[in-house]
Amino acid sequence: MLDILLPSLADGLLLGFVYGLAAMGLTLIWGVMDVINLSHGPIIALGMYGIYLTFTNLGLNPYLAIILVAIAGLLLGVLIYGVAVHRVINAPHLSTLLATFSVNMILIGIGTAVFTTTPRNIDFSLGSVTMGPITLPGKRIAAALAALLVTGLLYLFLYRSRPGKHIRAVTDNRAAAELMGIRSSMILALSFGLGTMLAAISGGLIATFFPFTILSGGGYELKSFVIGVLGGLGNPLGALLGGLILGALEGIIPVFMKTTWVPVLEFILFVLILLIRPSGLLGKKS
Amino acid sequence: MAMLEIRDLESGYGEVQILWGVDLSLEKGKLTSLVGANGVGKTTLLRSIMGTLRPWKGSIELKGQKIGHLPAHRKADLGLVLVPEGRQLFSNMSVHENLEMGATNKRSRDHVERNLERVYELFPRLQEREKQSAGTLSGGEQQMLAVARGLMAEPEILMFDELSLGLAPVLVLNLFQTLRRLKDEGLTMLLVEQNVHMALSVSDYAYVLSGGKVTLEGPAKEVAEDKEVQAAYLGM
Repeated sequence: MLDILLPSLADGLLLGFVYGLAAMGLTLIWGVMDVINLSHGPIIALGMYGIYLTFTNLGLNPYLAIILVAIAGLLLGVLIYGVAVHRVINAPHLSTLLATFSVNMILIGIGTAVFTTTPRNIDFSLGSVTMGPITLPGKRIAAALAALLVTGLLYLFLYRSRPGKHIRAVTDNRAAAELMGIRSSMILALSFGLGTMLAAISGGLIATFFPFTILSGGGYELKSFVIGVLGGLGNPLGALLGGLILGALEGIIPVFMKTTWVPVLEFILFVLILLIRPSGLLGKKS
Repeated sequence: MAMLEIRDLESGYGEVQILWGVDLSLEKGKLTSLVGANGVGKTTLLRSIMGTLRPWKGSIELKGQKIGHLPAHRKADLGLVLVPEGRQLFSNMSVHENLEMGATNKRSRDHVERNLERVYELFPRLQEREKQSAGTLSGGEQQMLAVARGLMAEPEILMFDELSLGLAPVLVLNLFQTLRRLKDEGLTMLLVEQNVHMALSVSDYAYVLSGGKVTLEGPAKEVAEDKEVQAAYLGM
């Protein structure tokens, strides 16, 4: 039993870092501007295609291509904010939900037309690493390390740089930040850009080991919700913790029952958290 | 010389007009107070000056330059600084970071270290709590931090909205002593207060706002002796 459980758990945990990164993007946007970004899924999928296209057409190393995908994700996010979100930013939540849902439909529509829904995969290998009873695929390890690196860089940015501190100030008290002379609309656009950048990066990393279509983002978007609520919405470290928990579940559950039970149990967990501790594991009591 | 000159200012929210033609001027290096009961438009006036609310009519001039139409961040660059009601600190950020955020406008952002030294000298308590998050400070310390954050912006004019609200009298006294010191250093200040007695005792000049209009103005001592003011605000 243990010889199956341990490798499966380790595999799930590695995946959890990448899930955490995707959820961090969702939770960052929510924390800064109280917007639930329903275009999160297709942006994850676009990140997947970004890596796929640069790898198959240009032969670019996927881990280098991640940098390009990150930049494109950032710019796309700023664009989405400017076009669809900014004009409804102070409207009730339903307006921002509808606005980002529209973006979701547009991206999926264009994506389906351009890429079709034929599954794609990126064909390269990094071998595997064996530690005692556990053998782990190199691509999973690389993805987890990349996710950790990006998380570290995000924290450095938020806590050490001036624009990062401005993001935290706007999160904390937007009216006061504006009084200080912080241009909140630019900070909101930047935050939205960072959120979508994280989504695109996580998509790119997932694409290195799972096949995907333009519709694949939806599932990861739902996972991001579960993780975000689990860790405490608005808390990036909570998202990482939530990602690890969800990853661990995905590693453990298939050992004992059919894989199809994974989403069932994940969403039961989601409902339980909402009932028992709606502020999440690391969230503040409000 | 008038630092800030407001003429015939009208403003409000949506359809509701709050200010009905306010005239007010702030002399350089003086402490001016604006007093009045709750709901007469004091905060609305401050918000119009700061640019977080757009004036409907009238003019606002800073050192002879019309600024009424400028957005909030441009007014911050010009040195209009407000210490808002209820402090409005960044409660999850440290004392040090709050002060850093205070120095966001163009005039102050390159002198953070110098201004930090100055406000820590003014409020040594804040330096002791530098790393603590602002939300964990006591009420008095939070108000000190709000004032210090305002000073970090190198204000041309520093405005206070209900500085004394919710503070113990001894803390209010301490803060007002700090204001006196700032005045001696030549800072132009506007004190907006419901605590009329305190405000008039520390100010040079005073305006009484009532129903969205200035109903009385004059040297603070004279305003304090006005029969109607005494009856309405000072309980005499």
